[in-house]
Amino acid sequence: MLDRRALARAYFTKEKLVSHHINSFNEFLRHGMQRVVDEEGIIETNIEDTYVKLGKIRVENPQFKEADGAFQRIFPNEARLRNITYSAPIKLEMTIIQNGVAVGRTQEADIGELPIMVLSEKCNLYGLTPEEMVEHGEDPLDPGGYFIVNGAERVVITLEDLAPNRIFVEYGEQYDEPIEIAKVYSQRFGYRALTTVERNRKSILEVSFPSLPGKINFVTLMRALGLESDEDILKSVSDNPEIIKFVLENLEEAEVETKEQAMAVLGSKVAAGQARDYQEKRANYVLDRYLLPHIGNSEEDRIAKAKYLGRMAEAVLELAIGLRPEDDKDHYANKRLRLAGDLMEDLFRVAFNRLTRDIKYQLERASMRNRELNVSTIVRSDVLTERLIHPLATGNWVGGRTGVSQLLDRNDYISALSHLRRVISPLSRTQSHFEARDLHPTQWGRLCPSETPEGPNCGLVKNFAQMVEISIGSDEEEVIDTLYKLGMEDWRVAL
Amino acid sequence: MNYSPPKRIDEIRFGLLSPQEIRDMSVVRIITPDTYDEDGFPIDMGLMDPRLGVIDPGLRCKTCGGRAGECPGHFGHIELVAPVVHVGYVRLIRSLLRAICRECSRLLLTDEVRDHYLHKIKELKKIKRPIDDVVREVFFEARKNTICPHCGAEQREIKYEKPTSFYEGEERLMPTEIRSRFEKMIDEDILAVGMDPKRARPEWMILTVLPVPPVTVRPSITLESGQRSEDDLTHKLVDIIRISQRFQENKEAGAPQLIIEDLWELLQYHVTTYLDNEVAGVPPARHRSGRPLKTLSQRLKGKEGRFRGSLSGKRVNFSARTVISPDPNLSINEVGVPLDIATELTVPMHVTPFNIEECKEYVRRGSKHPGANYVVRPDGRRVKILDTNADEIVEMLEPGWIVERHLKDGDIVLFNRQPSLHRPSIMAHEVKVLPGKTFRLNLAVCPPYNADFDGDEMNLHALQTLEAQAEAWILMRVQENILSPRFGGPIIGGIHDHVTGLFLLTNGEKKFSKRDFVELLKKCDIEIKLPEPAGYEDEKPYWTGKQAFSMILPNDFSILYKNGLCQRCSECKKEKCENEAYVVIENGELKCGAIDKKGIGAFEGLILDRIVKEYSSSDAARFINNFTLLSIRSIMHFGFSFGLKDEDIDHTAKAQIAEVIREAEDRVARLIDAYKNGELEPAPGRTIEETLELRIMEELGKARDSAGKIAGKQMGMTNPAVIMARSGARGSMLNLTQIAACVGQQSVRGERIRRGYRDRTLPHFEQGDLGAEAHGFVKRGYKEGLSPIEYFFHAIGGREGLVDTAVRTSQSGYLQRRLINALQDLEVEYDGGVRETRGVVVQFLYGEDGVDPAKSDHASPEVIKSIVSDVVGKDLEKVV
Repeated sequence: MLDRRALARAYFTKEKLVSHHINSFNEFLRHGMQRVVDEEGIIETNIEDTYVKLGKIRVENPQFKEADGAFQRIFPNEARLRNITYSAPIKLEMTIIQNGVAVGRTQEADIGELPIMVLSEKCNLYGLTPEEMVEHGEDPLDPGGYFIVNGAERVVITLEDLAPNRIFVEYGEQYDEPIEIAKVYSQRFGYRALTTVERNRKSILEVSFPSLPGKINFVTLMRALGLESDEDILKSVSDNPEIIKFVLENLEEAEVETKEQAMAVLGSKVAAGQARDYQEKRANYVLDRYLLPHIGNSEEDRIAKAKYLGRMAEAVLELAIGLRPEDDKDHYANKRLRLAGDLMEDLFRVAFNRLTRDIKYQLERASMRNRELNVSTIVRSDVLTERLIHPLATGNWVGGRTGVSQLLDRNDYISALSHLRRVISPLSRTQSHFEARDLHPTQWGRLCPSETPEGPNCGLVKNFAQMVEISIGSDEEEVIDTLYKLGMEDWRVAL
Repeated sequence: MNYSPPKRIDEIRFGLLSPQEIRDMSVVRIITPDTYDEDGFPIDMGLMDPRLGVIDPGLRCKTCGGRAGECPGHFGHIELVAPVVHVGYVRLIRSLLRAICRECSRLLLTDEVRDHYLHKIKELKKIKRPIDDVVREVFFEARKNTICPHCGAEQREIKYEKPTSFYEGEERLMPTEIRSRFEKMIDEDILAVGMDPKRARPEWMILTVLPVPPVTVRPSITLESGQRSEDDLTHKLVDIIRISQRFQENKEAGAPQLIIEDLWELLQYHVTTYLDNEVAGVPPARHRSGRPLKTLSQRLKGKEGRFRGSLSGKRVNFSARTVISPDPNLSINEVGVPLDIATELTVPMHVTPFNIEECKEYVRRGSKHPGANYVVRPDGRRVKILDTNADEIVEMLEPGWIVERHLKDGDIVLFNRQPSLHRPSIMAHEVKVLPGKTFRLNLAVCPPYNADFDGDEMNLHALQTLEAQAEAWILMRVQENILSPRFGGPIIGGIHDHVTGLFLLTNGEKKFSKRDFVELLKKCDIEIKLPEPAGYEDEKPYWTGKQAFSMILPNDFSILYKNGLCQRCSECKKEKCENEAYVVIENGELKCGAIDKKGIGAFEGLILDRIVKEYSSSDAARFINNFTLLSIRSIMHFGFSFGLKDEDIDHTAKAQIAEVIREAEDRVARLIDAYKNGELEPAPGRTIEETLELRIMEELGKARDSAGKIAGKQMGMTNPAVIMARSGARGSMLNLTQIAACVGQQSVRGERIRRGYRDRTLPHFEQGDLGAEAHGFVKRGYKEGLSPIEYFFHAIGGREGLVDTAVRTSQSGYLQRRLINALQDLEVEYDGGVRETRGVVVQFLYGEDGVDPAKSDHASPEVIKSIVSDVVGKDLEKVV
């Protein structure tokens, strides 16, 4: 028989135990931060024809500013012993552009401090030999994967989340009667919007999404999005004759015929009691911003959104006629894990937003006083630093989630390892949620079947299985390219 | 000290404070928001005015002259610049506004209709019933009238906007307007809406004067730095006065209407949050640190609030808590108290001419165990006894003093383990002072407390008055609680080794030499009169285990029952039963049968039950003490151990089990085939799928049972695990089956495991596999070890159990709380009926049958049998 011990030993020599945290944080350092900066792109100001162009972002190695102003490279253990934060300066390239030309040269400004994960690629211990580690006061066997904030070791706990941008069908209830609902948690850049399509008691499809009070008729919304003809709508739902029956029924009951009428209906819902013009403007804005944001937020994406809604409608109707079962929300294929890097990205996004607003304000003030505009003097780095460190130190994350970062359990070596491999479900512990607490067969090989606390958190707090490996999402464009290469046709061509 | 005789409260009336009342009870009008001046003295007419009471020790109250602790504090008041709505009454204000005329303030009902309702209310009040329904109807009917029946004015719609604004049509109704409308209401109308015009005029719901609670209600604390930190209420009152002042200034300066309205709104906000800081739609007022303020309503609400935290439950003195551990040598009535605790807890002893010497001795010993900690002089002063002043106190001691002496052996104390779910969760024990750090208790009292020794802690309360001690002694002593008030059987009785020990002793004929026989019984509290030996072996006399047990039974005790070993044979062999299942005790002699859980166990023990009921609780307590001692001696005599080897079964048995399981799997496969071919007959009221599941579960259940039988037969009655399971001491045959033979089907919410991947539980199986293995049947036993797949399914089933216990405990706790809250005031009167506090009859006869469950004999007419046998004579045979 195969000697499994040899296999296990080989597997664990590569510091696999907390690699999920470290890889995730490295990803954040390499791409995540730049992604956030690129989303922002420029900082606009109220000064005429002036804006700030944002360039490359870069993180240095952890250092500490001593009382005498000297910067000194620090190692984790020093941070622990001196109760300081193990963090590194963040540098961002910025250029002020006035009337289309750059004022001064591109400058790299210090925008704040980023707490650095121990043993990540920016950590000062990265790549050191065990002997060198000992020299710097570090246990060579320490797994790393946590932050040191004010001397306290803080773990950013892995969060288990329902997969975003995925259609779930389930049974709901309306006036004591069962109805079918398709739900999508559409997510784009940290913004989450729940979109639902449901079949009501009279078999009419209705859609709800954020900023829309109540629900809107499915056909109306399709027409508002630009799929006007019955045929287009029909085609985007299904070619199954049984389902078509339902859609036809819906089309017959349609309240509008044209896109303009549909937009008017939508406008009267999203901006009730407002002026016509404003209603129209608001309707357009809402369609691009709040409806299925993961597909896009420009006008060109509307047809794609309509197609997607068609798919959701199909799912609802399939559930209604029994072609597909209700989705199992506890199936691990429907779960996504949000790791340290991912969560740090959320944090950084909000903090960076604050910073840009502050920069804008400072620039405007400087301009009012007729001072020379200079980015490096204008950036107040505390704004960002404070917003990064405070959530890490308290666990109160952006979006009101608490307990995201926890004090690393150092009762013994094993408990620290276990803590670093913990997964928390955001479901409330006060409700029963029997099914979510059950051990689901799809957790085989992914989560430990035995390790879960007893008591109110039972089954909601989980731990990784020994040999679990976490895949990281891949770039959408790449996937799309590959699909085209495999012979996929563009729907725009087919239209 | 003043002595005020106890008074009986006839009635409590609730009402609203009128502005006049507030002013009358106020000792000072507060006008300045400042609290202290530069020198740290309270400012006159400020929120800390010395007339409001004292909190600093040493000072005297300017109003009543009392010291801190004596002076209860006195109310002040704030005159509000403009009236504001009281948030607590917005709903009533809304209903009222809608029910009265906007012009003449009359109820929008004709006088006849109103009088009809008034009459109804009066009738209901006479029989002390709630009038809420009538009042609701009045509001409902009045609102329907859009034209005032009195002045003919047309009514407009009243809109209420959270939290405190009212609109009439588009127009805002300011509190002044609302107040003036309410002022005009006549008394009869007010009565018709369920209010009392003398004690609660509706306009008093609009505040014009705000009472300022005494400083004792909102004491400021001095921080270590010497800085004063004010109470949240004081902060809030400061806000109110500030705004009031600003409002006043602006009004006098003739500020524009807009600014006045803003300030009014602000005043309203502060008064609202002062009353309740958790009103929906109002951002909570916060402390500088960002913490929401704890204002009036927050002080009362919730678990830590005044009602649930300070009145229904509060902290107590004279109590102790520590870990518990077992002590089989204590009586069930005793509790072992660590010396450290005994020297800390005290009992007051009134010095009389009869006990003065004893008291003096205690005082002299001071902190040395049976000593005393304090003496209380006749003037009420407490003096701590120290080594230095002990002799001095001894000299002064005379009748009339009270000595707080240490707890000593024989004192009666209450002993409690949380959760206190039923009456026997708190029982009275006699103190036995012991060395060590833990409370010690007899194992037989574990069941009522539901205690074990894996780190459990328990509380002990020393009773302080003779009345309390006497009451506890009579009603709460352990021996008085042997019978459960729930079902009338004993809940105190033998557990674990007690059962095993007596079973070993009485099962079959166990022979003892004279020496061993006496050894067994030597600790028992009985008259040793050695019976005739049961026989002779090698010329030497021997006695049997049954005789030993007979020794501790009352002499004239008789009973007949079948114990847990009974196989329910179609024809009972009675005395000749080879299982020793037929227990006969005649005149205190165990004739045949083995003693097991059904005889002496907690919850079931029949012998115990009969002794409590037919003799006395003292006899029962003695019996329990005796049999626990006897059984422990017995188990030590025989020796009893249990290990891995005891789970062994041989190859043939293993093969048999494997065969049984294979057959079961085959049958399951055939069922599945039948199902797939559509040959399966659905069970009544079920679908074919359900039928299949049911049949499979049944089939696999049977397989496990027969596997267990094979294993059980293999192990035989000499196996310690079997002995424990059979006698009811611990464990069950199912546990044994799962260890030795087959763990069986794992289930989630009563079904086989179904969830998982598409059409299958795990990728190890084919899609659509309905077989036993693919849905959580574990065919191996724990001892053999589970396969990884079986282990995983077992974890799934195990998780459900964990979740269940976690969720159940919190749910049942809440359920219990609600039940207790609903039933706590019910009382059984001497006439046997159940009434609530008002005297309303809930049941004419308690439980509808007048039976006290504690005396009900497991709720079955078991007694009749024994009564008949007593009457008919000793012929037990015929009666059964």
